[in-house]
Amino acid sequence: MSGMNAPERAAAFVLDEDAGEQKIEYSIDTKTENAGTFRFNKEDHTIGNLLRLQLLRDPNVKFAGYIHPHPLLNYIDLRVQTTTSNVAPTEVLSNAMEDLGSETDHLMMQFQEGLEQWKRDNENVMGGN
Amino acid sequence: MPHQRFPKVEVLSVNPHEMKFILSETDTSMANALRRTMIAEVPTLAIDLVEFHENSTVLNDEYIAHRLGLIPLRYQLGDSLKAVDCQEVFLSHRDCVCYERCPRCSVEFELDVSYPVSSDDELFAPKTVTSTDLLSLNDQVQPAHFLSQDEQDESQDEGISIVKIGPGQRLKFKAIARLGISKEHAKWCPVAVATYRFWPIIHINHEQLATLSMDQKKELVQVCPDKILEIDGATGELRAVDNAWDICTYTEDLMYAQQAMKVRKEDDDFVSVTQSTDRFVFTVESTGAMDAEEIVFAALRVMKKRMTYLAQELENLKDM
Repeated sequence: MSGMNAPERAAAFVLDEDAGEQKIEYSIDTKTENAGTFRFNKEDHTIGNLLRLQLLRDPNVKFAGYIHPHPLLNYIDLRVQTTTSNVAPTEVLSNAMEDLGSETDHLMMQFQEGLEQWKRDNENVMGGN
Repeated sequence: MPHQRFPKVEVLSVNPHEMKFILSETDTSMANALRRTMIAEVPTLAIDLVEFHENSTVLNDEYIAHRLGLIPLRYQLGDSLKAVDCQEVFLSHRDCVCYERCPRCSVEFELDVSYPVSSDDELFAPKTVTSTDLLSLNDQVQPAHFLSQDEQDESQDEGISIVKIGPGQRLKFKAIARLGISKEHAKWCPVAVATYRFWPIIHINHEQLATLSMDQKKELVQVCPDKILEIDGATGELRAVDNAWDICTYTEDLMYAQQAMKVRKEDDDFVSVTQSTDRFVFTVESTGAMDAEEIVFAALRVMKKRMTYLAQELENLKDM
């Protein structure tokens, strides 16, 4: 019977809370100052790349990079290093998430407006639908 | 909001099955996140469990169950033919508090088609069991047949064919449809195509062009297979066509042709075509499960929810 070794498809995006899996795990880098690695469980490039590029826009960030170590392992590691010890990696990351949330909101509104604009422009052509 | 961007959207065309729009003033990570979310993470309804009561057709149970799963199901409000986002209306069966299933997390379908045998000796043509024979117990959820009133009036469509039956055969089952995302199985994917192209930046160096003859300019126009350049009839100037952004596919023919034409190798190009890093032309084509514009909204909602969830988790982490 096939599927004896294959993991459940849902394991790619459903957090295994029974096994005590946390969505985000943070480990401070002991060898470099002001640096830490966030592990996002059950996430992939969609979020990884989005956060990474947003972090790189912040002047307080010295290093930001993410890796999806293996396609069969469902987590990403995001390493963040800040320029000064006054700003912690967690703070920079929350700012990035907040900005991305606002950008998505803005995009939703713009999209709504864009649709209404198109409907107005094409009202005369279609004669109502 | 320290480093937020403010993206702009310009809608090019909207149809129930397809939409095109231009996204600008944001970068590839947002465009790609939107594309990946539309393909993999927008929740839709699809048949997930099938209970067969009778199947004497030529296809076996699991084959028919597989085909049923791939039928797109539309969630339509009232009399409207427009299919809207149902992620707020139904719960995922993992999150639902019910024991096995309930109307809050699933939709039941029934089908009972048979081909009665008469005593005549004629040749019987096979009868097709289609998605129109699927009876939904929730009026608002139906298999996708028509996307607009025009289509319904004009079409002679008989529905998505499930199996063909002959005389004496019967198909009877009960099917349960559940909410899911494409990461779990492709049947839950609401899009057939969700893609974006980069806006081309066509830069024409007029000083360099002045050194070329009309024949050489004509050659530049001809060599590009997309024909993104043209020569202005009045002035004889080389310029990009109006719909260059729509037809450009970034072939390298222009580059090679110019290499041959240049006097010295390190001269500037006459025409350079590069990809913009912040302007994208999106095309979203629906499978019929949701209208195209609804898919984009649903994807944005999913992205926003994900961001909020992650921000909340990070706050919890900070407090610990």
